[in-house]
Amino acid sequence: MNKKWGIAIIMCLALCAFNIATEHIFEVPKNWPKPIYNFNKNPLTKEKVELGRELFYDPILSKNNLISCASCHSPYTAFTHVDHDLSHGIDDRIGTRNSPALMNLAWHHLYMWDGAINHLDMQALAPISHPDEMGEKIESIVLKLQHSKKYSKLFLKAYGDTVITGEYTLKAISQFMLTLVSANSKYDSVMRKQSHFTEQETKGYKLFKQYCASCHTEPLFTHTGFENNGLAIDTTLNDVGRMRITKNSLDSLKFKVPTLRNIEFSFPYMHDGRFKKISDVLKHYTSGIVHSKTLAQQLQQPILLSSNDKVDLTAFLLTLTDKAFLFNPKHSFPKK
Amino acid sequence: MVMRKFIWMFCVLVTHNFLFSQQNKLVFHPTFFNQTLKPEVYYKLNAKDSIQITSFKFYISQLELLNGRETVWKEQSSFHLIDAFDEKTLVLSVPSNITFTKIKFQIGIDSLTNVSGAMGGDLDPTKGMYWTWQSGYINFKLEGNSNLCKTHHNEFQFHLGGYQQPFNCLQTVFVQVKSKASVTLNMDVAKLLLYIQLSELNHIMSPSKEAVELSGKITETFSVSYE
Repeated sequence: MNKKWGIAIIMCLALCAFNIATEHIFEVPKNWPKPIYNFNKNPLTKEKVELGRELFYDPILSKNNLISCASCHSPYTAFTHVDHDLSHGIDDRIGTRNSPALMNLAWHHLYMWDGAINHLDMQALAPISHPDEMGEKIESIVLKLQHSKKYSKLFLKAYGDTVITGEYTLKAISQFMLTLVSANSKYDSVMRKQSHFTEQETKGYKLFKQYCASCHTEPLFTHTGFENNGLAIDTTLNDVGRMRITKNSLDSLKFKVPTLRNIEFSFPYMHDGRFKKISDVLKHYTSGIVHSKTLAQQLQQPILLSSNDKVDLTAFLLTLTDKAFLFNPKHSFPKK
Repeated sequence: MVMRKFIWMFCVLVTHNFLFSQQNKLVFHPTFFNQTLKPEVYYKLNAKDSIQITSFKFYISQLELLNGRETVWKEQSSFHLIDAFDEKTLVLSVPSNITFTKIKFQIGIDSLTNVSGAMGGDLDPTKGMYWTWQSGYINFKLEGNSNLCKTHHNEFQFHLGGYQQPFNCLQTVFVQVKSKASVTLNMDVAKLLLYIQLSELNHIMSPSKEAVELSGKITETFSVSYE
């Protein structure tokens, strides 16, 4: 009898330990919506997240073994590329779009500027396979990983299996990306009543709610949908955005609304990285809107902001910087 | 006494397995007209052309057996990647202890599976049947070359897929069968190629109107024969 109880207690403890461990890996911030990602199909574990992190920072994912995910998604700049308007890939090739910042990815239905990707697990396939990005095939990556002693060990630890598959590889990368949660900015602490906005930030927040929040909806600071925000067409790119995928003219020139979290660090802005500074972006919204058939409803009427308003609004936007996220050692290059 | 009981049990189990777990085969047999399709062989649709098939792969899913209108057997997690040039993929098993008059299956991958993230086995994206620039499985892949195609190496490539309306390419196939013995499903690629003007249409690589139209013709390539 005693033995049975002993086993029961040990099992309970093990279960608690497991729960505690998973909670630390991923937590839904207070008052946030339920994540869209189905964690039941890919339950997070420390070992799998760690494997995903190794893969994220490893140029083994590219054809010439020189470019990693982090080459265009650097942790200290909100997981985007700040030096370039358009993304750079192998052999100095230049892509057609600005690499997006990566954070709070569990709350999205569709990924990429045009929503081409329908699930976080499948997202990595796009840059891996694109000839102007990593130019590699998932089949070859799996072969390279199978020949690597380091990865044989890491996959065994993560999956308890010596066979490396595309599914395991992609799911591990997802696990790491899912842990990139940014919810500790000054804005967040104000919402949690742990600190206060300055007078300027308060004014800026009011302006934000009036003019920006219908697309850049709290708490993610994006409604995760697609909008035409009135950018003039760049005739060297002729990018029609969402319409490339749906082939529906109602989606012409619509791009995914990006999050404004960590905007201080995620420049340049827009799908083609055309604006380098927040002030350029505000100038666009107040005096640069190009009217076309699919222009967002919210931008039909001009947005009028005085120069003081712009300063206030910018002060608020800077409260979305989350240093704990940007400099989280758990997100950075894995040390040997 | 105990030993005898064991022997008896053993006999019962063996007979049970033999009677109830025997499998019948469902064999896919890709052909060009009446000939078995082979790689590196040149075939003729008409007098002036010559066609070689280099790759022919497709997904079979949701395999079901029906007796009249009633479903009598449904395969669990039913996804099979059939490769015309890999014999071991051409044979599927169905239980032999069930009477059925119809076989039902889908060519391609349903929309729910298409939005469910990374999967293993035949659905693993390393199988080359997943689009990378846009999420979604390629339901049906036919590649080759023909003197009719004015393309690089006279190549043609038809990658048919798409799970969202109006470009949903998933096809349901019903095949009437006579007996419950093993069934061979012949699949005549020539019939499909006769629908295409290869001189004008030599590639489909994304969900589109053309992909939906051609997918609709796949069901007409099937015919049944028995071992």
